[in-house]
Amino acid sequence: MFNQNNFYSSAFAKLQSINYPLLGLIITLFFVGLAALYSISNGDFNSWPLKHSQRFILGLIIFFLVIFFDLRLIFGYAYVIFFLSIISLVIIPFFGIESNGATRWINIAGISLQPSEFVKYTLILALAKYFHSINNDSSFIKTLIIPLIITIVPVLLVITQPDLGTALIILLGGISLFWISGLNYKYFIVGVFSILCSLPVLWQYLKDYQKDRVLTFFNPERDPLGNGYHIMQSKIALGSGGIFGKGYMEGTQSHLNFLPEMQTDFIFTMLGEEFGFIGTLLLLSIYAALIMISIRLALKSRSLFSKYLSLGVCNVFFIYVFVNIGMVTGLLPVVGVPLPFISYGGSSMLAVMFGFGLLMNCYINRDIIIEKTNY
Amino acid sequence: MKKSGKFIFQKYDTENLINRRAALVTIAKAGVFSVLVGRLAYLQIAENSNYKKLSDKNRITHRFLEPERGIIFDLQGRPMAINKQKYEIIIIKEETSDVEKSLVNLKSLLPHANFDIEKILKEVNSRKKFIPVGIIDDLTWEDFSKINVNIHKLEGIYPQIGFKRYYTQGESHSHLIGYVSPISKNEEESNPLSKLSTAKAGKIGVEKAKDAILRGKLGNKNIEVNASGREIRELDRVNSVQGNYIQLTIDSELQKFCYERLKGLSGSVSVINVKNGEFYALASSPSYDPNIFNKSISNETWENLLSDKYKPLINKSISNQYPPGSTIKPFVALAALESGVSHKETIFCDGKHLIEDTSLESGYKTFHCWKKEGHGNVDMTKAIKVSCDVYFYQIARRIGINKIAEVCKRYGLGEKVFKSLYEEKSGVVPNKQWKLENLGSRWMVGETLSAGIGQGYFLTTAAQLSLALAQLINNGTRLSPKLIYDNETSNIYNERIIADPRYLKIIKNALDEATNAPGGTSYRSRIIGKYKMAGKTGTSQVRAISIKEREEGLIKNKDLPWEKRDHGLFIGYGPTTDPKYAVSVIVEHGGSGSGSAAPIASDIFKYLFEKKFNLKRNEIFNV
Repeated sequence: MFNQNNFYSSAFAKLQSINYPLLGLIITLFFVGLAALYSISNGDFNSWPLKHSQRFILGLIIFFLVIFFDLRLIFGYAYVIFFLSIISLVIIPFFGIESNGATRWINIAGISLQPSEFVKYTLILALAKYFHSINNDSSFIKTLIIPLIITIVPVLLVITQPDLGTALIILLGGISLFWISGLNYKYFIVGVFSILCSLPVLWQYLKDYQKDRVLTFFNPERDPLGNGYHIMQSKIALGSGGIFGKGYMEGTQSHLNFLPEMQTDFIFTMLGEEFGFIGTLLLLSIYAALIMISIRLALKSRSLFSKYLSLGVCNVFFIYVFVNIGMVTGLLPVVGVPLPFISYGGSSMLAVMFGFGLLMNCYINRDIIIEKTNY
Repeated sequence: MKKSGKFIFQKYDTENLINRRAALVTIAKAGVFSVLVGRLAYLQIAENSNYKKLSDKNRITHRFLEPERGIIFDLQGRPMAINKQKYEIIIIKEETSDVEKSLVNLKSLLPHANFDIEKILKEVNSRKKFIPVGIIDDLTWEDFSKINVNIHKLEGIYPQIGFKRYYTQGESHSHLIGYVSPISKNEEESNPLSKLSTAKAGKIGVEKAKDAILRGKLGNKNIEVNASGREIRELDRVNSVQGNYIQLTIDSELQKFCYERLKGLSGSVSVINVKNGEFYALASSPSYDPNIFNKSISNETWENLLSDKYKPLINKSISNQYPPGSTIKPFVALAALESGVSHKETIFCDGKHLIEDTSLESGYKTFHCWKKEGHGNVDMTKAIKVSCDVYFYQIARRIGINKIAEVCKRYGLGEKVFKSLYEEKSGVVPNKQWKLENLGSRWMVGETLSAGIGQGYFLTTAAQLSLALAQLINNGTRLSPKLIYDNETSNIYNERIIADPRYLKIIKNALDEATNAPGGTSYRSRIIGKYKMAGKTGTSQVRAISIKEREEGLIKNKDLPWEKRDHGLFIGYGPTTDPKYAVSVIVEHGGSGSGSAAPIASDIFKYLFEKKFNLKRNEIFNV
């Protein structure tokens, strides 16, 4: 599996060629999350902060494992990995764990995992391989319909869980690769137009609580104690933080439990309340830097697969951050998307580390040329 | 680069294409981040003050603190109205998402508790949303702790420790002291305590008259609460201020004695110090237990109190008006003396007095003396002693109604005794002008005759009669009637309201004879001993006696239904040598003054002479 003659097969060399600024930013974000969770648990390290750290260490292990795999091997098994992740989605209705009216988790060896978190990255993997492999002059079906099917299948599976937020991120992540890989922009125009036209039809298929969320998004005062409550309280927490914040562990909205779901989806709000605009700006800058470095690293790869994969991972990561912050600031409906590296959540942490492992692997192996293979 | 629709993918120059597309995506991302930064700047900088307010509104809740009501003491400093701690439950609409659900949860927690969800819902919705509304007023400690344990299920519901008013003297003082109950809608504006729905206000008696003094001042506190409304910590507090203490001139033991003496009867007693105008007792019977108003009183109890024919809710010593009957005679006699009538002048009483009345067939209207066969020759002293009606018919006719009215008013009849008690009635002292103004007709001579024996339009209260007698007996010194020590009025006016001390001597002597000489109307009730009482009986008719009935013989009072029997009255003073007290007793439908009222007054004087000879204030200072 590992070619002894290959320079990059040396584990030490691989470690040396890691982009440390990127890893440094990831670790920084982890510590921000740790600090936030420490505040939320009122100074009890043994609750959320401890588990968060354990998950991050597990995530780091996954990150390095992914790095040490040969990129060509990953390319070779891309469809298999994607297929396995799809299987894990398919079995959820039969073996899954239900919580809050949705079945999103499966139990593997005592650990609850949310396969949909991983599918975000395995889809990118599969599409990267697919777009890498097709020819310039491939048929309409081969170049558009098949990758669309590859994208739509996991999206539909996740919608039925139901988990609209994650499904949308998977879809957007997939679509972003269509764009990166050079699909004629006319298709995007047609696509956006047809989605707009089909919105009223799609509306019928939404669950009541999903309709509620969307309606509440457009008018938060519509139901101030129901769905609007989350948005209102989040805006109050952020807004009352002001420029400098209320001080670490001094957030009243969060510490008096006005803020819902603050250890997961609304953790950004909690940080914004305690550290103010300075804090949120700083945090956004870290995310922006991470994304900029990711793009720069992605574009250094020679192979299309590497570029697609890296940019795809970067896009998914960006969408994560955007949807979460957009949601807690009231720009987007509340869809239940965690803030990567910071929100308390195992699957999300492991998945994003898996994703950045892939990205880093691509960077380390940036000079490898991958042949087009038949698929 | 050529853009061709022929190719689904634009792959002429893959490297550049990807770079270009990635660059576009990067620009888009930068744009999105700018939007996020802008949004955060808007929320955290531009709208900061707004959200700060909302955040404070979230976490800070204002609570009013109920003040403790001032205590009411009696003359000797015995507390008569005090406050006891109680456990209560309130609900605040603003702090629950579903009032009904919280109430239903409470009901399931305390199934035996007496509260009506519908009624409270109505109450909650009619008040401002931040005003707490009481649910259960007086809770056992067990239930109270049960609520505290399950508080998380009861959104917007709070247990708290409040005060309940407790009346130590029970029903003997209830009319006088009154009671408190929740502040009503029309009191809301004038009462600052109405911000607290659990606060109460005096509804009658001293509790109402001095409510503004007794109620105290609301305190308030700001507390930090969490999302479920639980108090986390107190941020600041202004303590409530207890209402001022009030001391009454009433001696609660004497009051109780008077009330006990009235038991089984419907009537009232008033005891006044003739020297300084302090009222030592104002009893009314039957009564009610004022402590039933501590809890929410049931409709049935309330209806029963309202419909009782003996009117237990009415303070008969000040709110019920009666014709004074013969108790007016000392004042009519005084008016006569002042008009130049000699007390030695005798008038022959043959049992009736005729006046011309052309409207009648006989041309005369007959006014009867209570003694059918007449008293024979009577002078003023005897007329008072035996209460001869014919004497006073003639005297009244001679001096005229306006003179009688002037004297009666001078002694305080026809005017409220305690201006502060809302439920007090002023009585009526009729004269020509009064009739013209109130009834729109001319005064008739016959009406002067009726007035001369305290009948007709005359109306007085027990408190008025005792005050009038006191001012007559104390050598005619005007008194400032006192029930509450409030440093506002001096006890004694120096104004003399009797024209000539000799007149007083004549009246006093006559009253003494009426009680202490054989043949006097209250001779049977005289007190044998060192100290004596003297006084005048009165029997006031509540029905007109027809000519036919007179011819067939008067029906005895005891054979009449209760409502038609005469009222029995007595006014007296004692001791006769150096008067200290004046007492008035009214027994509603008691038959006669000598039979029903005088014995009660006699007992009260005996009690006063034995136990309360020198009633003195034991001063209470506001602590």
